[in-house]
Amino acid sequence: MNVKKVTGAVSALALALGATAATADVLFWSTQAKPVEEAQAMREQVLAGAGGIDYQPNDGGPWLTRLNAELQAGSGSIGVLGALHGDFSAMDPADLVDLDGLGASASATFNNLAMLGTDSMQYIPWMQASYIMAASKEALPYLPEGADIDALTYDQLIEWAGNIKTATGEAKFGFPAGPKGLKHRFFQGYLYPSYTDGVVRTFASDSAVTAWEKMRELWAVTNPASTNFSFLQEQLLSGDAWIAFDHTSRLAGAFNERPDDFVAFPAPAGPTGRGFMPVIAGVAIPRTAPDMDAAKALVQHMLKPETQIATLRATNFFPVVDVALPGDLPPAVQAAGNAVAKMSGSADANPGLLPAGLGSLGGEFSQLYTETFERIVLGGQDIRMVLDEHKVRLQAIMNDSGAPCWAPDAASDGPCPVE
Amino acid sequence: MADISQSRSSGRFVYMSGVVLLCAWVLVPLYFLLINTLSSPEAVNAFPKSFIPEFDLGSLTFFANFAGMLSALKNSIFVAAITMILSIVLGAPAGYALSRFEFRGKETFRFLILLTRAFPLPLLALPLAVMFIRTGIDDTIFGLALIHTTLALPFSVLITFSLFSGIPIELEEAAWTLGCTRLTAFTKVILPLVLPGITASAIFAFVISWNEVFAAAVLTIENRTLTAFLLQNLDTSPLHLKFAGGFILVVPALVFIFAVRKYLFAMWGIANR
Repeated sequence: MNVKKVTGAVSALALALGATAATADVLFWSTQAKPVEEAQAMREQVLAGAGGIDYQPNDGGPWLTRLNAELQAGSGSIGVLGALHGDFSAMDPADLVDLDGLGASASATFNNLAMLGTDSMQYIPWMQASYIMAASKEALPYLPEGADIDALTYDQLIEWAGNIKTATGEAKFGFPAGPKGLKHRFFQGYLYPSYTDGVVRTFASDSAVTAWEKMRELWAVTNPASTNFSFLQEQLLSGDAWIAFDHTSRLAGAFNERPDDFVAFPAPAGPTGRGFMPVIAGVAIPRTAPDMDAAKALVQHMLKPETQIATLRATNFFPVVDVALPGDLPPAVQAAGNAVAKMSGSADANPGLLPAGLGSLGGEFSQLYTETFERIVLGGQDIRMVLDEHKVRLQAIMNDSGAPCWAPDAASDGPCPVE
Repeated sequence: MADISQSRSSGRFVYMSGVVLLCAWVLVPLYFLLINTLSSPEAVNAFPKSFIPEFDLGSLTFFANFAGMLSALKNSIFVAAITMILSIVLGAPAGYALSRFEFRGKETFRFLILLTRAFPLPLLALPLAVMFIRTGIDDTIFGLALIHTTLALPFSVLITFSLFSGIPIELEEAAWTLGCTRLTAFTKVILPLVLPGITASAIFAFVISWNEVFAAAVLTIENRTLTAFLLQNLDTSPLHLKFAGGFILVVPALVFIFAVRKYLFAMWGIANR
């Protein structure tokens, strides 16, 4: 009899009986790959070869609370942390073990971000993603004349969604403005860079007023139920949205379920280029990790090329190291990969960076952009007034955190000024 | 005459439609949950919805193969059972004391009981987790049950308090004159009368523990409860898995309530029907 089968049966049996005995598994405490299918794939495909790993994805709240409790208590069970750059940058670097020499990503920018302002790697970049556009093929006949779907402008996008609204009577642009939606990233990484060539410096500039006017125009042809949309794959599949903007992994479900019905394409461009923003997740080790060697081995495992490809299949997050991608990737990965490649390779590309250096004020920073959207677009308040009011708060956040400007804002000495 | 029968029948109509509405209120969502659980992903996303399930077991099969489900289910049941027992064992005597005895600080005591619900768990979870790690009851079923008992206690104290208050002390006094001690009077006379109410507060405790996510997610790692294990992953999962996961979370609680309904209905004098 096959040995593998026997061990499989034994472990299944042990599971069924509820093996509660403490095991020496390395606890992988993650905020990523949370959906049940992704968690399952992480356990079965990505981590299966790494020895005893207990992969536990969590909501941000319990994730941070548990981590802080272990740091305060001075001992714990978490071996490796998996989270977004923003989660790590809100932490005290002293609570994370220095990871120099365990590997690095192919991007110097990412590696620099991962130092969190210190001289050594506080986390190791693990995987990356971005935000793209997706559309149902039903929407394609309504594209404005002469528009190239791979090189759209915001005006063309608005016209396109407007054509659909005129023809069908329904607004079919879907925007992730729901409670768990990632709308703030659209403003920080897409709208502002495309219209003002900045995020912080240009927050209250005249070009920002234009940007918000465009946002209002876009909202007029957006499905008003968007304030409930957080994962646009659902609305693409149900037909409530024909055109959508979202995180690649939040669109993946639509492509994987009905690959022939949807297309992925780059985000639109504005007067100052095609703004877009990466998403970086990393792995780190808290200073309270029970088995430091095993934790470091797991971090190294996550950066192996074959693990990176398995991670791509499992989570739709792309590798951060140089690997040759195989040809048989899931439809969502191919679609998103192409769209991201076109976006970053376009002549007018204006890549931004993730907010950096904000520390624990990162949440407040994003909240400010969300509130600006709510007051201007949903509440219909005067754009200039709202921007001037929020400008003061934004400057306070920058001063309190001491964060210097990041791309596409011009570099600054000291805290990034709001002009 | 005709008027009276007409008003009677219209009254009956209102009554019946009220009954139907209330039943539908509970049953229709559960029915949709069931249909969507047994539907393929395409059918779940389709609109209008079919009223007949197509018995596609794909979603349920996924969870059947999902590592750790069974042990999480077992943990959930254990935690809920311990919570139930502890909250009755601690709550019922407190309710009895509040209704039968006058003592100093009674009002403060009642207020304090309510105060345990005044602080949101995310606020308390951090110091609790630190304390649990230091005392070694971190990541245990019993430790989590202690937290859930704290959450359930106010309800069990207040429910049993009003139960005992509703039973005249004369009944107990009569039992004493007929040879009962304080204890036997309680077990032979009072307990049978309050049993349905105690069952109700037990169900409450069970459901509170069953549904609690935050403390469970922070305080357990290897011994996760089903809600901590599943619920926080479901909100980001595809629709068909949300339905199936919701179904899996709801069914055990329903089965439990169904199993103890006899004691609950005894309250309204329709036991064993």
